[in-house]
Amino acid sequence: MTMLKELAAELIGMFFAEKWLTVAVLGLIAVTGSLVDFTGVDRLVAGAFLLLGSLLLLVASVCHAARPRTH
Amino acid sequence: MPPWSTAAPAISAAFFASLVEVVEAFTIVLAVATLRGWRPAALGTAGGLGVLACIVLLLGPVLDRIPITSLQLGIGILLLLFGMGWLRKASLRAAGIIPLHDEDAIFAAEAAELSEYRRGHSESLNWIAGVTALKAVLLEGLEVVFIVIAVGAGRGLLVPAGLGALAACALVLTAGVLAHRPLSRVPENSLKFGVGVMLSAFGVFWTGEGLGIAWPGQDLALLLFATLFLGAGLIGSAFARRLSVEFA
Repeated sequence: MTMLKELAAELIGMFFAEKWLTVAVLGLIAVTGSLVDFTGVDRLVAGAFLLLGSLLLLVASVCHAARPRTH
Repeated sequence: MPPWSTAAPAISAAFFASLVEVVEAFTIVLAVATLRGWRPAALGTAGGLGVLACIVLLLGPVLDRIPITSLQLGIGILLLLFGMGWLRKASLRAAGIIPLHDEDAIFAAEAAELSEYRRGHSESLNWIAGVTALKAVLLEGLEVVFIVIAVGAGRGLLVPAGLGALAACALVLTAGVLAHRPLSRVPENSLKFGVGVMLSAFGVFWTGEGLGIAWPGQDLALLLFATLFLGAGLIGSAFARRLSVEFA
């Protein structure tokens, strides 16, 4: 039972280790999907939005983690 | 056979990711073998590999039934989350914000834990040692299984990606048996950085394709994405180093 719990924790940790980054990436994908499906935006523009957004989120997440905690 | 521009990134991502994970599992299996002999270590490893094989055999047929665009979108999202997580951690380790993975320290800690247990429970220690090896192989192997499926499933590259992972296992086992000590000289963080770059690039690529975006240059776009993620990881690392110095 303990091993199953560890297995489940490992699986969850693989994709959702950093809460802030996970939520931001999922939000970015949702917005990109909405751009493609519900607006007249060119699909390539939506693709560029997804790519650049991911790059920015990565840099922001690394910098966020490097700042000292205030609490 | 898919074009080399598609196959090479998938195989190399599977190979290098497996290299990192197998080195980590090997450290713990070696600690078990050093303290209790190769029997519990080998049995635990075989048990872990058996469970992983069952997971692959169960997942394989399920994946075949999922429409390709849904599969690309689902795997792309998971790859993006997983790859960016690795890249973020590798950037922070490169910047010195979080400590590097130390195989020697992990080996010592695992050996100490088993030695401590030996004092009062000598009868059941072989069982505990075997379970420790099984757990290490299973937990580290899960990531390998995911990466092989993720980079291979979308384009019929499961076998080449699997072979890349097997090659990494063979390399680590050979090096480990020859050295007979934790493989602490493997540049683990650089490998993790590189794999994080490739997985993130695959993540954006598959997610985009799953959403109906046709990338210009098709598979060659992966190279551009990988270059951009490499740059972003390095920039993030440099910023993080500066921030940590400013606030120190």
